[in-house]
Amino acid sequence: MDLNEDDVIQIIRYLDESNFNELQLRLGDLKIVVTRTGSPASPLGAGESPVPAASPAPPAPPLPPPQPAREAPPIAPAGQTQPDGENEPVGGQRIAISSPMLGTFYRAPAPDEPPFVEVGSLVDEDTTVCIIEVMKLFSTIKAEKRGRVARISVEDGQLVEYGQVLFLLEPEES
Amino acid sequence: MSAINRVLVANRGEIAVRVIRACRALGLESVLAASEADVDTLPARMADRVVCIGPAQPAASYLNVSTIVQAALGSRSDAIHPGYGFLSEQPALAEACRDNGIIFIGPGPRQISTMGDKLAARQAVAKLGVPVVPGSGLIDQFSKASYLAEEVGYPVLLKAAAGGGGKGMKVVHRPADLQSVFREATAESRSAFGDDRLYLESFIPNARHIEVQVLADQHGNYVHLYERDCSVQRRYQKLIEESPSPRLPGELRETLCRAALRITEAIEYENAGTVEFILDQDKGTFCFLEMNTRIQVEHPVTEMITGIDLVQEQIRVAQGEPLSFTQWQLAPGGHAIECRINAEKAGDDFRPSPGTISRWRPPEGPGIRVDSHCHEGYTVPPYYDSLLGKLIVVGDTRMEAVARLQQALGDFHVEGVDTTIPFLASLVERADFIAGKVDTRWLERVAAPPLRGG
Repeated sequence: MDLNEDDVIQIIRYLDESNFNELQLRLGDLKIVVTRTGSPASPLGAGESPVPAASPAPPAPPLPPPQPAREAPPIAPAGQTQPDGENEPVGGQRIAISSPMLGTFYRAPAPDEPPFVEVGSLVDEDTTVCIIEVMKLFSTIKAEKRGRVARISVEDGQLVEYGQVLFLLEPEES
Repeated sequence: MSAINRVLVANRGEIAVRVIRACRALGLESVLAASEADVDTLPARMADRVVCIGPAQPAASYLNVSTIVQAALGSRSDAIHPGYGFLSEQPALAEACRDNGIIFIGPGPRQISTMGDKLAARQAVAKLGVPVVPGSGLIDQFSKASYLAEEVGYPVLLKAAAGGGGKGMKVVHRPADLQSVFREATAESRSAFGDDRLYLESFIPNARHIEVQVLADQHGNYVHLYERDCSVQRRYQKLIEESPSPRLPGELRETLCRAALRITEAIEYENAGTVEFILDQDKGTFCFLEMNTRIQVEHPVTEMITGIDLVQEQIRVAQGEPLSFTQWQLAPGGHAIECRINAEKAGDDFRPSPGTISRWRPPEGPGIRVDSHCHEGYTVPPYYDSLLGKLIVVGDTRMEAVARLQQALGDFHVEGVDTTIPFLASLVERADFIAGKVDTRWLERVAAPPLRGG
């Protein structure tokens, strides 16, 4: 495997723009380890929320108070973390594009390239809208629906869950 | 020593609840990796965060190594607790954790591999001078099986090299049946484990299943926490477990515990594990059966008589702490019995009974513990095993424990799904059980008369 200087810069950039502190890359016999130094509370890391970004219920406190041995009767509101539901009051007839897998969400094919789509972009079934990474395996995600992007619900580099809404589309007359 | 702050719980049901409780007790945060079917369950409400890892089907969620590891990385968890079942004994998960700087709460991939291959385990253990069940090496062709079966003597047990948990095991009573059973076992093993290698063992008719709980840290400390007797089984699935074993002579108990420790030390084991033995009641001898490299369903039995919290201990040793006690400080007391409560209809060949629980009233009182994820309104999904929970009782003596168990089963009211509670309640009233006179085939004799022949 040949890696040139640009490739290495690219790799470092990947780490820099991600939530991770360390990146290990193995290409045949070659192993590259890139580590983020300095304060562990990187700007990206600091913003991490204990609850998935969108939640229909009032956000639960991140650490429930210690409870006695027996659990409180389970009468918590249903759908606290419903992954597939609409995450907000949907005006009109917006169409959701949900994540087909758990992974890291990337809006662009590479850090220095423009995002696949922006708010306002027209998409159809075959339009690639994002990339989701699961342990160095990158899957391109197609819209599989037709419409105009009204909202991008996830930040670049975030963990998305299975079924989490990634984009909302306004229907578009064809 | 790398400290754990946040644990990803890669499991579901009662064991997820159990692990989250241990995390809380240790002041650690927990993240539950849940399938779509499990995002609104009791463990999901107890965890500090839930991540949905995939659809209900285990292959696309709980059994997906990459997704589990990504869920840990993405949620900034520094450790994964695999529970039991699912990926708990897959070296691939332990390996992926190591490669990604995540602490796997369990043994290393090498120990999991050695003990996961039942044939390799037998060979490793035999080398240590611990008796193994008389049997064969790998059988690659039928003619060899027939020769070996004659040598071992009928009845024989055909077993999958990759098997475990009672799966992939078949008894052959007569030479005439060998060929057809061999073919069946090969096919079954291939479909269940993706590995059709078989071996053969002598079948011990009057046997008890005795297992020894072990714990080891990263500093070379190895302890055993005595035995559990799991002889009440149905088709090699345990139903009732207790400790200490009734009717186990003291010196044999010592020998078993020492043998378990010898095996644990020889493979440089780390974390919690269980060494299983078969006790031949006719001959008064024992043989190594297998080692399970994870926390087991029946671990509370040991906790109740030793006072050691095994799951907390697992987490502590995984982050490099030494064991919190020594062998000599361990002073087991009392007698504990556990019953597995399954959503099954005993009268209909233990057919699984998923559905919504309309009433859930577990027994309460001194000496009673219920480990469960169930509650009224909970829907038992059809995708996973049927375990609803475990009832554990403890008493000063076995008689006291048995009486408490009888009472507690009578006080356990569940409606909406069929459960094994009435069946268990009738079992623990039987004279043989009360006297502790059971073997591994007792249950099949008293409770499941064969439908035809055999």
